[in-house]
Amino acid sequence: MGRQRLLLAVILALAFAAAVVIVVVPVRLGLDLQGGSQLTLQVKTTDAVPEITPEKLEAVQQVVENRINGLGVAEAVVQTAGENQLLVQLPGVSDPEQAERVLGGTAQLDFRAQRPGTEQQLGITFQAQQLLLAEKERIQDSGDEEAIAQNQAALDQSNEAIAEFFDRTGLTGDMLQNAFAAPIGANSWEVGLEFNQEGGEKFAELTKSVASTGRTLGIFLDNELLSAPSVAVEYAETGITGGRASITGRFDAQAASELAVQLRGGALPVPVEVSEIRTVGATLGRDSIQRSIYAGLGGLLLVLIFMVVYYRLPGLIADIALIIYSILTFAIFSLLNVTLTLPGIAGFILSIGMAVDANVLIFERTREELRAGKTLYRSVEAGFYRAFSSILDSNVTSLIACGALFWFGAGLVKGFALTLAIGVLVSMFTALTCSRTLLLVALGFPGLRKPRWFCPNLPQSTSSQAGVTS
Amino acid sequence: MKLQVIRQRSLWWTISSVIILSGIVAMVISWNQFNSPLRPSLDFVGGTRLQLELDCTQPDTCNDPINVGEVRQILAEQNLGSSSIQVLDQYAISIRTTVLDVDQRTQLLTALNEQIGTFDSQATQIDTVGPTIGRQLLSSGLLALIVSFVGITIYLSLRFQLDYAVFAIIALFHDVLITVGVFSILGLTIGTEVDSLFIVALLTIVGFSVNDTVVIYDRIRETIQQDPGRNIDDVVDDAVNQTLTRSINTSVTVLLALSAIFLFGGETLKYFALALIIGFTMGAYSSIFIASTLLALWRSRFGQPISAISADPSSSDDG
Repeated sequence: MGRQRLLLAVILALAFAAAVVIVVVPVRLGLDLQGGSQLTLQVKTTDAVPEITPEKLEAVQQVVENRINGLGVAEAVVQTAGENQLLVQLPGVSDPEQAERVLGGTAQLDFRAQRPGTEQQLGITFQAQQLLLAEKERIQDSGDEEAIAQNQAALDQSNEAIAEFFDRTGLTGDMLQNAFAAPIGANSWEVGLEFNQEGGEKFAELTKSVASTGRTLGIFLDNELLSAPSVAVEYAETGITGGRASITGRFDAQAASELAVQLRGGALPVPVEVSEIRTVGATLGRDSIQRSIYAGLGGLLLVLIFMVVYYRLPGLIADIALIIYSILTFAIFSLLNVTLTLPGIAGFILSIGMAVDANVLIFERTREELRAGKTLYRSVEAGFYRAFSSILDSNVTSLIACGALFWFGAGLVKGFALTLAIGVLVSMFTALTCSRTLLLVALGFPGLRKPRWFCPNLPQSTSSQAGVTS
Repeated sequence: MKLQVIRQRSLWWTISSVIILSGIVAMVISWNQFNSPLRPSLDFVGGTRLQLELDCTQPDTCNDPINVGEVRQILAEQNLGSSSIQVLDQYAISIRTTVLDVDQRTQLLTALNEQIGTFDSQATQIDTVGPTIGRQLLSSGLLALIVSFVGITIYLSLRFQLDYAVFAIIALFHDVLITVGVFSILGLTIGTEVDSLFIVALLTIVGFSVNDTVVIYDRIRETIQQDPGRNIDDVVDDAVNQTLTRSINTSVTVLLALSAIFLFGGETLKYFALALIIGFTMGAYSSIFIASTLLALWRSRFGQPISAISADPSSSDDG
């Protein structure tokens, strides 16, 4: 009996901890529940890039992230999906018009030469832009939409102004073969550049034209100035030849690698296509949450009533186990940071109906043993023991199907498969351990040791044999 | 109550065959109409769907219900005359068009907002699905289906024997076919469309309706071990009847949960729940009347079981 008491204490502690988790850790809601837009981007191959490698996909992801961050959507998420897709999630966006526009084109990286006579103006405009960028950072999460829009408009304007100070040279991102961050000395980093043959020649020409003039060369990504390095005096004669160069400045490791990634990203001319957009308004999402709560509580209540009416005392214990099941499963969702979508909720409700299956199997077996004339305690033990192989086999086949769903399904399906699989595993625990412990503890009370509370219409003779033998 | 599943098996087989056949007929008719065995939704054929609701908090917006003729005219002006319009309630409509790009869509929304009334952007649902997504969905769904069939066959062959596994898979095909058939009929009669959730439902049916079969198999195995010489027909009859209450009760609890989703879950989940309701009911039915009776017929005809993949005699001693 001592072991049962201990187990009971463990189960109650688990349930309590789970309840605390549910209250403390908020569950992450999918866009179909909180409202927002989800865009699926198909990364396409070209003649030059016949295969999308994980590195290339990552480079595209970086570009997409940069562009999305430029939109100022709070908590936007860009994830890779499969081998050649990206998922962009924009919570709270009810019309993804802007996002679609900025994602439409490929990133355009090009190198430009500063126009003579603009030295002073560029400095002033550039400094003003840095202030604007700092402000953008500050107000991004404030929710003050008007301020964000104003800031964005000012930024656009300064970008245009800066672009005016430079001339295109025909040196574009596809001629840049590589860009990388490399350390020089203790706390200083540089960004190395490698061009192909044609790029190297153009770069030599460009650097020759601006070296020792006080003007800079401008590196532009999508018409936005990324970096404006000046060229050292010693290159005034020949320019930087050999197709290799490095940009030095006040880079720390992070800034250098960020610039390198941006350059590499811009150097990857892979077209992306928006292949799917799903947008749900926030009101509709709220409606769905409310409906799901009704459906979940309704389903739970119906199952609880059925079990206690049909199985009596064991039914009541299965009900307690089922409530513990619901709490534990939901807590695991929160802890694993599962994104709860509408199909995921359906999976959860469905699993409530299925979780009692193991208990049904056990209690049916218990009743059979009781009818065969065994004592109550032995019947309960035999019920658990003999039903186990059925429970194991049926749950394993379910897990196989969940595994197949998870590996091959897209985002929506994955959430559903995960919630179902978690449900199957937790229900194995609650139906076997929880209900067994609770039932054995209940049998410890002489008042509850009545076979007719386990099985109606038993032959009278067996009732008297009830007893605890351990 | 005792079911005579073996004696009445030709009756059960006939019932199943009739349902499956009518489903196949519906699929053939659907194929002629929509080039697909079921009425496909946006997810499979691609296109843009806009679900819009008037913002009744704005003055003068909700004086009159939405006039479909007006909407149709706006669509025609934008060269979208072939679109379908569905009235959801007085102030809400759903428009389905070919794939619209961002400019076309913005233009259409602007025109609708100007001429019909202000729509509530927070109650809007816009889905655009490219033409390639459907094929991707279908191929990954089929792959998942095949993988789970193979996985279940291997597991059941190891835990039981190969012939048990084969008949369990036949019963699964039966459940899936009937569910698809019923939705094909619904597509023809009340215009029910199948979306990506339908594929999810089919995969769930595969994973869970095999449970009932496994429970009966478990009983058959147990009885054979206790009394190896007994007639297989009697063994199967007994096993089915001994597990019958469990089969019914488990189905009842699952159906209770599913009907809660069906009733309260809203438009998106309604037909998902219905597919599961049909599939799980069929799962319980086919375990009792199809998988078990086929197993009995096979064993009584051929006596010896076909050997399992791993022909290890000790493997059937566990459980």
